[in-house]
Amino acid sequence: MKRRLAISIGLLSCSIVAFQVALMQILSGCQWNHFAYMVISVAMLGFGASGTALAFLKKYLVQKIGTTLALLMIFTSISIMGTLFLSRTVFGGFDSYLVFYEKRQYLNLVCSYFMLFVPFFLGASAIGLAYSHYALDIGRLYFADLAGSGTGGLLMLLLLWVVSPSQAPFVIACLPLAAGLLIFPSGRKTVAEKTGFLTLALLALVLLFTGLLNPPLLPSSQYKSLSRTLLLPDARVVETKNSPYGQLKRVSAPALRYAPGLSLSYNGVVPVTEAIFNNGDWMGPLVPVPGKRTKDTLDLKGAPDREDAPETEHFLDYSTQALPYVMGTPKKVFVADAATGWQAVYALSREAEAIIAVEPNSAAVGMVSRHMNFPKDRIRFVAGHSRYYLQKDDRYDLILLPEAGSFGGSSGILALEEQYLFTLDAFSLLWDRLSPGGMIAVTLWMDQPPRSTLKMLATMVVTAESRKVENPADHIVAVRSWSTITLVLSKSKVSSSTIEKIRTFCHTRQFDPLLYPGIRPREREEYNVLQDTSLFLATDLIFTRERETLFREYDFQIRPATDSRPYFSQFLKLGRLSKMRDVFGSASMPFLEVGYLIVLLTMVQIVLSSFLFIVLPLIFRKVPGKGKAGLLVFFSGIGIGYMLAEMVFIQQFTLFFGSPLYAASAVLSAMLFFSGTGSAFSHKLITGSPRLRLVAGLTGMLLALLALCLPALMRVAIGSPLVVKVLFCALVIGPPAFLMGMMFPSAIRAIRPVNEGSLIPWAWAVNGSFSVISTALAAVISVEAGYQAVMWMAAATYLIAGISTRFRLFSIFV
Amino acid sequence: MARVLTYALTLLLVASALPVLPGSQSGRGGQDYARRRSAMVRDQIVARGVTHRATLQAMRSVERHLFVDPALRSRAYEDNPLPIGYGQTISQPFIVAYMTSLLGLKPEHRVLEIGTGSGYQAAVLAMMADSVYTMEIVKELASGAKKRLQDLGYSNIEVVTGDGYYGLPGKAPFHAIVVTAAAEHIPPPLIEQLCEGGKMVIPVGSQFMVQNLILVEKKKGRITTENLMPVRFVPFTREDTR
Repeated sequence: MKRRLAISIGLLSCSIVAFQVALMQILSGCQWNHFAYMVISVAMLGFGASGTALAFLKKYLVQKIGTTLALLMIFTSISIMGTLFLSRTVFGGFDSYLVFYEKRQYLNLVCSYFMLFVPFFLGASAIGLAYSHYALDIGRLYFADLAGSGTGGLLMLLLLWVVSPSQAPFVIACLPLAAGLLIFPSGRKTVAEKTGFLTLALLALVLLFTGLLNPPLLPSSQYKSLSRTLLLPDARVVETKNSPYGQLKRVSAPALRYAPGLSLSYNGVVPVTEAIFNNGDWMGPLVPVPGKRTKDTLDLKGAPDREDAPETEHFLDYSTQALPYVMGTPKKVFVADAATGWQAVYALSREAEAIIAVEPNSAAVGMVSRHMNFPKDRIRFVAGHSRYYLQKDDRYDLILLPEAGSFGGSSGILALEEQYLFTLDAFSLLWDRLSPGGMIAVTLWMDQPPRSTLKMLATMVVTAESRKVENPADHIVAVRSWSTITLVLSKSKVSSSTIEKIRTFCHTRQFDPLLYPGIRPREREEYNVLQDTSLFLATDLIFTRERETLFREYDFQIRPATDSRPYFSQFLKLGRLSKMRDVFGSASMPFLEVGYLIVLLTMVQIVLSSFLFIVLPLIFRKVPGKGKAGLLVFFSGIGIGYMLAEMVFIQQFTLFFGSPLYAASAVLSAMLFFSGTGSAFSHKLITGSPRLRLVAGLTGMLLALLALCLPALMRVAIGSPLVVKVLFCALVIGPPAFLMGMMFPSAIRAIRPVNEGSLIPWAWAVNGSFSVISTALAAVISVEAGYQAVMWMAAATYLIAGISTRFRLFSIFV
Repeated sequence: MARVLTYALTLLLVASALPVLPGSQSGRGGQDYARRRSAMVRDQIVARGVTHRATLQAMRSVERHLFVDPALRSRAYEDNPLPIGYGQTISQPFIVAYMTSLLGLKPEHRVLEIGTGSGYQAAVLAMMADSVYTMEIVKELASGAKKRLQDLGYSNIEVVTGDGYYGLPGKAPFHAIVVTAAAEHIPPPLIEQLCEGGKMVIPVGSQFMVQNLILVEKKKGRITTENLMPVRFVPFTREDTR
């Protein structure tokens, strides 16, 4: 039974993690991305709430422990599938974009929370019940739990390539169903028991086959970019590709005509009629390859005879993106995070001879390459991490960075996205990869009040200064249209002949220069007038000693991002919230800069929910035993510390491996494998509270050491082959993870004899809740103080947990 | 067990109290829409600095509540946009007024609107101009707006179903053009259809928050844009640093 139980727990844990990943994909595709994070966090509180339920109901549930565990697992399977079948209520009834405008959306939101909470609650209840009833065997069970969780993440990496997000939960639901059947007691049953069991099994199977053969259609919010594009006449999805990066859709829409910030003097056609969307969000346009313009791509319904643009001109010549090609004739071009490759196509039209376009989303690279048919002798479109690719010692005449922001503002949607191409460390690397006359170019959407432009400019200026450039103003050019601005950092000084070309370019396109050497103030607003002079004033200050004052006093965060705090799009300063709320109003605020606020809101929400559903009921129930404060500190400490360390490892190894997906896989696998091993050995190695204290102290010291040395160690190993890197990852993560894995099962064994194990569900609830809280906490600390501070905090929590083991309850070990 | 029940009942009571929190009431019978419209103009539009008399008059006259879903009528005069389906919203009253005031319309003017939506902006424009042509690419929205405007007796508005990118060359030139549908670029044909001295206004932002407005003007063949924020927000002044 024990071996079968361990296998069942492994299968169940695997399904819970896999379902969490699937939900993230589904919610990102259907709703505003911010809410995916918020909803999942609350759903994960099912872990904490299960502990509360067990504290109340354990004595009833253990009477037929085998049947109860099996039923909980089967119900987990049914609820996973049920969530999808009720998707009209869960994902369709609720529209995250309307939550600030329609009061009834609150009810829908609560309904969504509840529906998503149920599978996690049921699954976690089964695990918690097994832990508390079979506490002596906790090492083996905890190992199975961790191993299963690790496998769940890896399973989804494979599964999402072959099935759609709406099908994935039905595959996942097989696991808890199998787990339940595996441990269902085979002894004598009453007729009622047999009938009940058969009915349940049948229901699960019917749901399973229905879902797999005919997966429910997941309704998307009408405000997602994809939904709105599909409303255009004759718009249709022509290709779909599933991947762990998201669900890609290639859409054809004759009325699309994407041309960001096009000059008002352009009078030709815009031949862009196709675009790619990832999880329902805009990814990029498919700009036709020069010379490949066919009758189809120019079929503009209802268009008067307007094809009078000269054949040699490209429509993007009339955008600010043309600036680097006005300044020079780059032959070797690197396009970082190329998305759909449109910047590479434009470089091709400007006669670049060798173009390397790197995009991390390998599914998108495949889709674009298949469709676009790039000339292979001139464009290499490869899947990979741009920063990683740039480590190779090569030189480029032009490095193009991806567009920053989006039309009409991104509502701070990228605030917590790590943008490693827009950090000071990245710009130093880019500078080193430029040929003597090389340029770095980036185009941003103009935002009001100005923030992204200023942050990008500050990044360029500080980079130039760090590279001993005497006067950065001689190396930077910026030109703006009514909606976009392109900034160019040139390795060599901008010559007077180039300045003349820039002036002509601006004049013919009706653009305004913001920066070039020797610019006069009146040149800055000839065609596109701004409401106030904030942009000009701040731009000039960035080049002066008053820059620090500007960073401090400006109402938005415009200090350059670094690898330790890689949040280029995080502009919100918490201290200025009330000023902005007064000006923009509470209802509009979420659409100005919401990303960071959502994390804070999530944290508050989780803390309140934890209190309401976990702490309060337990206070009512009066958990037996004295001095539970020590236990609370211990179990919350190890819950927080573990998750904080895990999140720092994932962040640090993303750059190391050059892929967030591989980094997450490697880190999670290593963490869970070594923690599981630690857990399996815990009963032999930890026989009393002094040893538990020693392990906690050692863990804290190891994490502190890593906070100090990890970046330096990584710099040494970053150029190594993949096998060496994986070994390095295992060597770094292994020792602390092994020690961390021993803490939870050891402490559970320690408290098992107290009041017949009645404290175990409580400990399970506390540990689960604080693990969830810490994910939001890690995001907040890393934004405010950087990742190193997160690691220091992880170390501190383990040290504090160690101190708390001086408490009397820990003295009883079995 | 009694404690559990007490706790559950407490939760239930808290939950049942939620729908009666301030602001969650769904409607009071016999609302005085004219009074609320007047308050809307005073508190949301004039208070924010829009003083163009004809615009204010139009905003007082057009019955905004008839342009939203019946379920949302009680909220028609609130200071925010409201959903109208198909991924669209009816703009915040202040934004409608601000955009209209920027156009400087006269009774003899001919106006083109791209993105009819509910038809509310067209109705406001029609109060101040000779004729309004409004184009909507989503058929369902276009037919809904056409019927609504006909029923309300707006005889100087023509709703055209179709792609607004090419404007209406047959009806050009226009004294003013309003592009309420989000546009990453300004369609060149629309600029051509703007008459000398004409103005075009384009809101930039999401459906739920207009961050800034682009005012395009055509004077002596020269085209200029002005970027206007609907709110006064200066993130930094030199004096602050000293």
